[in-house]
Amino acid sequence: MLPRPTVLFRNRLAVLMALLVTGCSSTKTFVVLLPEESGAPSAVTVGQGTQTTVLDTPMTGATVDGSGNIEKAAVTPVEVQKIFGAALAAQPPKSITFILYFATASSDVTPESRPALDALFAEVAKREAVEVQVTGHTDRVGTQADNDRLSLERAQAIRDMLIQRGIKATFIRAVGRGDREPLVPTPAGQPEPKNRRVEVTVR
Amino acid sequence: MKLLSRFVVILAAWAALSMSAAWAEIGQIKNVTGQVFLLRNNVQQRAKAGDLVEQADVLTTGPDGSVGITFIDNSRFSAGPNSRIELTQFRFDPTTQEGEFTTDVKHGTLAIVSGQMAKRSPDAMKVITPTTILGVRGTTFAVKVDE
Repeated sequence: MLPRPTVLFRNRLAVLMALLVTGCSSTKTFVVLLPEESGAPSAVTVGQGTQTTVLDTPMTGATVDGSGNIEKAAVTPVEVQKIFGAALAAQPPKSITFILYFATASSDVTPESRPALDALFAEVAKREAVEVQVTGHTDRVGTQADNDRLSLERAQAIRDMLIQRGIKATFIRAVGRGDREPLVPTPAGQPEPKNRRVEVTVR
Repeated sequence: MKLLSRFVVILAAWAALSMSAAWAEIGQIKNVTGQVFLLRNNVQQRAKAGDLVEQADVLTTGPDGSVGITFIDNSRFSAGPNSRIELTQFRFDPTTQEGEFTTDVKHGTLAIVSGQMAKRSPDAMKVITPTTILGVRGTTFAVKVDE
């Protein structure tokens, strides 16, 4: 049978607990490197000065205490889910870029690009909050002034279609880049269907 | 003529102002669950999907809260419950893709998928916690700070 704690002991316990709660020795950081979607190499450096380490293997974690001491350890998917499940569930979708092609000297999307256009509308519609960057381009036929105007008209044509579908206009930016950024480099004056395009980034 | 030049100066100043206003945004809140607050210039407001975030903004989440943010360099943040995330410094040049991005995680959990900035320069993106500094080398990772 255990003796009942005395009042004195209980007071000491309370002081000890208070020290643990307020003292910074209990503050710690836990960081874990997660697998890359692309499988590309990745790394996080941890710490500064003499106490540093590098996490460069996915599913490796490091704990850093209030004195800067670092402890490295392997982490399981179950532990990651338990600690970071709520945060990971809130991860926003990654941005996607669509390329739409246009008929010569016009702001009409080619019939071949209709499916991409439909995919763009579907992507925009399924996102809760969306920013859209629309950048128009031309090939190198015609004057720079004409191409600047044409590239902007192409971008605005796509923007207007998005607005008609009810997306908040505040988050659509349409710009024209003229013939400055060809997808396929060509000499001046050469028609190139791949350069008559609009690039739409949905973020 | 004098009036015209004054008008031009005012117009230029207005253009510069509205430009800087357009550039103040560094990202957008994409989703909100439970209680999430956005603290800006000492004013705290309920955060909602679609809100634009700026440098020096502070995001806090309640016991049931989580929030997802996408930044203009395509970095993606998502914070879990009981978190305090300070967007201390953010500078990004979309043309060169160079910049600086420093985030303070005071407590809670934060998952990060780094974007163009970290890809461009390995020292551009940092996460500071009460016990350490993390340097981001183009990566997906998560950090938890216990008080």
